Amino acid sequence: MDTIGADIVLKTLAEEGVDVIFGYPGANTLPLNDRLADSPIRHYLMRHEQAAAHAADGYARATGKVGVCLSTSGPGATNMVTGIATAYMDSTPMVAITAQVNSDLWGRDAFQETDIIGITMPITKHSFMVRDVNQIASSLRQAFQLASTGRPGPVLVDIPKDILSARCGDQPKKAPTAATKRIANPEQIERIAQALNRSERPVLIIGGGVKLGDACVQMSELVQRAQVPFVTTMMGIGSVSSANGFNLGFIGTHGNELANRMIHQSDFILALGARFTERSTSVISEFAPLATVAQIDIDPTSIGKNIKVDLPFVGDIQEALAALIPLIVPRERDAWLERIRTDRQTLEEKLIDGGCGQAGTLIRKIQAAMPRETIVVPDVGLNQIWTVRTWQSHSPRSLLTSGGMGTMGFSVPAAIGARVGAPDRDVVVICGDGGFYMNIQELATISYYRLPIKIVVINNGHLGMIRQMQDLFYDARFTTSDLGDRVDLVAVARGFGIPAERVAVDEDPAEAIARMGSAEGPYMVEAMVDPDNYVYPIIPPGASNVEMISGK
Amino acid sequence: MAIEEHIISLLVNNQPGVLSRIAGVFSSRGYNIRSLCVAETTNPEVSRITLTSRAESDFTEKIKKQLDKLVDVISVTDFTGAPAVQRELMLISLRLTPENRKEVLRAIDLFGCRVVAMSEECLIMEITANKDKTAAILKYFEPFGVVEMNRTGAIAVFRQAREG
Ligand SMILES: Cc1ncc(C[n+]2csc(CCOP(=O)(O)OP(=O)(O)O)c2C)c(N)n1
Repeated sequence: MDTIGADIVLKTLAEEGVDVIFGYPGANTLPLNDRLADSPIRHYLMRHEQAAAHAADGYARATGKVGVCLSTSGPGATNMVTGIATAYMDSTPMVAITAQVNSDLWGRDAFQETDIIGITMPITKHSFMVRDVNQIASSLRQAFQLASTGRPGPVLVDIPKDILSARCGDQPKKAPTAATKRIANPEQIERIAQALNRSERPVLIIGGGVKLGDACVQMSELVQRAQVPFVTTMMGIGSVSSANGFNLGFIGTHGNELANRMIHQSDFILALGARFTERSTSVISEFAPLATVAQIDIDPTSIGKNIKVDLPFVGDIQEALAALIPLIVPRERDAWLERIRTDRQTLEEKLIDGGCGQAGTLIRKIQAAMPRETIVVPDVGLNQIWTVRTWQSHSPRSLLTSGGMGTMGFSVPAAIGARVGAPDRDVVVICGDGGFYMNIQELATISYYRLPIKIVVINNGHLGMIRQMQDLFYDARFTTSDLGDRVDLVAVARGFGIPAERVAVDEDPAEAIARMGSAEGPYMVEAMVDPDNYVYPIIPPGASNVEMISGK
Repeated sequence: MAIEEHIISLLVNNQPGVLSRIAGVFSSRGYNIRSLCVAETTNPEVSRITLTSRAESDFTEKIKKQLDKLVDVISVTDFTGAPAVQRELMLISLRLTPENRKEVLRAIDLFGCRVVAMSEECLIMEITANKDKTAAILKYFEPFGVVEMNRTGAIAVFRQAREG
């Protein structure tokens, strides 16, 4: 067989360390699908291109490697858009390959021709339109380089079918890149260290960038050495073990009251890999009003984008921490730690079940029934908030959640990617009924590949989070949020070949959870919960982080 | 924050789609591009884009960081307030009447404009000047009856040789 463009794609992917891709074929991808037969790369056939993108995303989040997804042109490519945007918002390293119509048809509104590069421009780090078979290797290499360095993110490579099929010779080998690393502005790190050393009431804000920058070990070291309390953003949960005594919880709209309060009282905050989105800060002018703000981030556009920063540092977070830690002078801050201790106690006493009601108890039981290294993948809605508030994350790659985009339907396909990437770890999905419907077809993928993914659908018969907002802020007029109870989800799961059972959370769900935990293959539990089981406290729209409300 | 006009100049890879990425950085943040000039540099693989936009004073800082992130952008320079020579080219087509003819021709001479075409009823002049001056000249001629006007938008060059 002659070497064609498709072979070059697969060879370059293998060179980049890719072992799996998640995809869905079409006429224009076929040259590539055909040559997969001779490649060591495994292709997981998803049941929807959106799911292929989420799976690549979940794979990347679970492994730290670049996730790869593949679709055909036109509807295949546009179906991936939500998945690409989700990866973009959470800075997941991802390469999305789309096949394009033959290059002589460009611009003629050919069958299944769309300008996917134009469509995805605002949601990719960069994109390549391959115009020549001899550009395939270099474009893909650059795509991997861009996706995985700096602030990571998705890169799209669009390859026309005729270029995938074009004959070509061997491509030049990848030139080795010598990475020289050094701290650019050591004096900025010194200033941050001095400010931290001087501060009386410091708090660290740990964002998703700490995991992305592989700096979790150094992060724990800083906490330990400086003896400083820390909060996280939702994306930062698990960077340092949730069980660490200095953990105050996560900040923001649905965050922990203790975390929000202590930020408000702090005189110094150091944010690491966090970009101060309004979900975390609420009204920005009232956020941390007493604090000097220091920020470390690899992305210069994240510095000072949302908040005025007194002490910035742009650079790699691992290197920044390595430079910072030796400059920290441990000191006692008894008054501050004591204030936190008493506040923690009063707040915990006030808040039964962590503000998550029976759903919280259920999630605690699920975690107890699963091995310590389990990866949990919540969907979006109340189920997500219940999970991130309740689940104890002991390691960085154990809670995978769509934070920036809040994409319903993320959980099931992302869990597929996570399990494929981390076959030694258990994976559990916690999902609402609404989000479950959004990629329900992926049960077929789970079933086909016999992936032992556990799924808990917390069924409240409603779009729960929408219902809570209607209850609190729209005079309890519950329009458009009722999903009803006519669908037998257990039968649906079984129809897909997945064993399933139903429990009510107010009866004891322990046995069902135990059966799920010990099942060899995939398993689904539909957990019925009261539609009034909300999450508290919550910050009303327009209020500041210290104006959390605990009920109507 | 005070709103002011910014002149930004970019060196970019001369490739399809680059301009649209740059435009996207402006439009997705709600900034309007007021003028835009694109041409190849002495290196045909590199183009220079000069554009102007009105925005707050921290705009350059923010937009520059975003532009710097684009893979095809080689460098970003802000000419606002810098020691630079800035020019734009403007063509004005003006209606001529027996009454205005004399005054128009005198003003053209006075402003240092050049007549590039002329008929009985119509005259086309060319002006190369900085943006303040082109604006003033246009304003002066407007009452005479401007048939058509077209301008390139600003381009700029630093006064001193600089590194990079
Ligand atoms: C794709 C998508 N569409 C709409 C929304 C808006 N939204 C956020 S939470 C929510 C309700 C989720 O309901 P469900 O999946 O049943 O979960 P619950 O809140 O009940 O746990 C909706 C509609 C979204 N986040 N994503």
